[in-house]
Amino acid sequence: MVFSSVPFLFCFLPVVLAVYFAVPKKLKNTVLLLSSLFFYGWGEPKYLLLMLFSITQGYVFGLLIERTREKRRSKIFLTASVAVSLVLLGYCKYADFFIGNFNALTGLSIPLLKVALPIGISFYTFQIISYTIDVYRRDAPAQRNYVNLALYISMFPQLIAGPIVRYSDIAVQLENRTHSLEKAATGIRRFAIGLSKKVLVANVLAELVSAFKQSHEQSVLFFWLYAAACTLQIYFDFSGYSDMAIGLGSIFGFRFSENFNYPYTSSSITEFWRRWHISLGSWFRDYLYIPLGGNRVSKLRWFLNIFIVWFATGIWHGAAWNFVLWGLIYAVLLVIEKLWLLKGLKKLRVLNHVYTMLFVVIGFVIFDADTVGSSFATLKAMFGFGGVPAVSGEAVYYLKSYAVILILAAIGSTQLVRKLCKLVSEKKGGSAVLLVAEPAVVVLLLAVCTAFLVDGSFNPFLYFRF
Amino acid sequence: MKKKMNFCVVLVSALFVFGFAVLGVLTPDKKISESERRPLAVFPNLTAEKVVDGSFTADFEKYTLDHFPLRDSFRRIKALVSRYVFGQKDNNDLYCTDGHLSKLDYPGNLESVKRATDRFRDVIKKYADKDRKVFFSIIPDKNFYLASKNGYPSIDYESFFSYAVDSMNEAEYIDITDLLDISCYYRTDSHWRQDKIIGVAERVAQRLGVVLDTDFTESELTDSFFGVFAGQSALPVKPDTLSIFENSSTKNSIVYDRETDSEIPVYDLEKVSGQDLYEVFLSGPKSLLKIKNPENPAGKKLVIFRDSFASSLAPLLISGFSEITLVDIRYISPMILDRFVDFSGQDILFLYSAGVLNNSVTIK
Repeated sequence: MVFSSVPFLFCFLPVVLAVYFAVPKKLKNTVLLLSSLFFYGWGEPKYLLLMLFSITQGYVFGLLIERTREKRRSKIFLTASVAVSLVLLGYCKYADFFIGNFNALTGLSIPLLKVALPIGISFYTFQIISYTIDVYRRDAPAQRNYVNLALYISMFPQLIAGPIVRYSDIAVQLENRTHSLEKAATGIRRFAIGLSKKVLVANVLAELVSAFKQSHEQSVLFFWLYAAACTLQIYFDFSGYSDMAIGLGSIFGFRFSENFNYPYTSSSITEFWRRWHISLGSWFRDYLYIPLGGNRVSKLRWFLNIFIVWFATGIWHGAAWNFVLWGLIYAVLLVIEKLWLLKGLKKLRVLNHVYTMLFVVIGFVIFDADTVGSSFATLKAMFGFGGVPAVSGEAVYYLKSYAVILILAAIGSTQLVRKLCKLVSEKKGGSAVLLVAEPAVVVLLLAVCTAFLVDGSFNPFLYFRF
Repeated sequence: MKKKMNFCVVLVSALFVFGFAVLGVLTPDKKISESERRPLAVFPNLTAEKVVDGSFTADFEKYTLDHFPLRDSFRRIKALVSRYVFGQKDNNDLYCTDGHLSKLDYPGNLESVKRATDRFRDVIKKYADKDRKVFFSIIPDKNFYLASKNGYPSIDYESFFSYAVDSMNEAEYIDITDLLDISCYYRTDSHWRQDKIIGVAERVAQRLGVVLDTDFTESELTDSFFGVFAGQSALPVKPDTLSIFENSSTKNSIVYDRETDSEIPVYDLEKVSGQDLYEVFLSGPKSLLKIKNPENPAGKKLVIFRDSFASSLAPLLISGFSEITLVDIRYISPMILDRFVDFSGQDILFLYSAGVLNNSVTIK
């Protein structure tokens, strides 16, 4: 089930909210867990057992790690738990990728396994690993209540596409959290914004991306339109989901960490990755980069650590070489920035943004491509080496048709709207205006999103399969 | 103040979500969408097999979308926001310009044209009387007059038409593009207006060597004709008027419908209260109709292979013929036609709109 769907908004959510707030406190986690399992099983019931197996192994190994603390066995249990998680993820997500590449290298023709990727496996696997490592490091005690641990891993607001919640950040909230009108209102606002980002912006831009891919009349202008639409679509799609997750979490009394912080306003790639998919970046930093030694090692080893982390980041997004290339390009750029460029970039007021966005756009063109070869072909065409005309009638049509939404999306990816709201609230009488305007805007957004959903077709999230 | 604001946000949101959830349960299901002219999804059967393979959830999604309370109003909101807030030039490929609604149909699909003309040539080879003539005419769709002129992507009609004509070199081509303009079409529908195609009927008759009785009486049936694009676009648009042209031939001719083995009227006035008012003309989609004109028993006979556009043209032509057979090979296989139609002594006219030629997958 996806948030931006009629069954979720008008069937699942009202029932879950009604039951959740009706039952006593001690049953709330059980209700939320059962709801989460139903939510997950709705789309792909056959993978429910796989997730439950992953949760169970995390639960058992978590307890064993705690019980054998001070002993060597503790590390063995941690290794076993991480290995089980990674083997499951590897089998479901990467088996065919490796077989395909092995076949290509050796000339063999080992048949592909054609394993369908279970929804959200990359996210919940990382949460289970986070749990066992946190217990091993004594950042959090092992969870004795199976329901609570299962809820942490499978909680429907963030199960499918994050943010990746760290166990140590949420352990206390699982057992003791409060609910309030303020939290509910904050959550609803955030959810409405996220839903609008997904339904009114990302889905509409997806139509432009789709039109480009189906077009037989390509041009340099059309390639750039595609690149801009794709870049904005990915941001609004993914950050919209995170907003909805954080909003729903707030309604249920949880506080999830932020996942995006206006990444397209960054003035360097280093800054971009501090603002983009923050929960994944910090996961790799804390559970891979720092254990590898971070930057407190020789320069050569430091380079290697960075490349390992960015190779992992790339391939985490998808079992294909274009994702690996996407990750490694950032590795190169980050090393260059750290060694030479970062100080200089700070002095350039506009060019630093141009530089950053240029590489972000290039990155997402590679990210969105089917193959590395097709991504190069797109990039060549964008820069006038694709043998296509500068402008085509179709590109002009789509530019006119999508100009407003592209401009709105570009503005929406900056802090302008937030600053304007703050400005209004600080003015005399501003609070009174917001008192009337805010509920009206929230319900208006919900109504318009509903209209787009009712009229449109099913449109899953881009990060659904990661 | 903050507390009041929070209360208002929670209250209105809860009313919206819970309100529509309850309304969805209480509202009885409809079988068809009148505005979109399509059957609506039914509640899927709940079986273990369907749950496991995911088809239940997919069907349930469709069901909830199709039966959402105030669905048409929400579709209208979407259409208005797309057009007036986002400034989008089309909504689900439907666009409104020069006061007309139309549907984007591009690029030209020459493979589709070839598929259609290959079928037509098979028909000619199998059935055409060597002593009679075969004609071919293409009816331009609305995009021909609207799209390119208003900056919408368009088929390259020049090459599209010339490709189609070249592919049908067994037939004499009747060009009617100069006789039409956008005012010859309903503003809210894809079809041409019968009151604007007398010239087309006369040219076809002249090329086929017959003379028509053009002493028609026009009767306006309704000024509330919302065509197929009106419902699909969901935009608020003014309706069209729908008129029919009658003469003694249209009044006295007998139409035989092979599907129902019965006689039907040339103008089916009961359809005025139906969903698609264009079905007034020869009762809408029919695989095989035979119109016999008792006023001209010695006249020529004609077989028209056609789409829905011919339904409003055929009544204008009937006075020049003793018999017109209308065949829609989207609904009947051309390979079995000799069971129902004797082609000897009959001219053949292939009369198809550009839209059908460009999307010929429906032709059998």
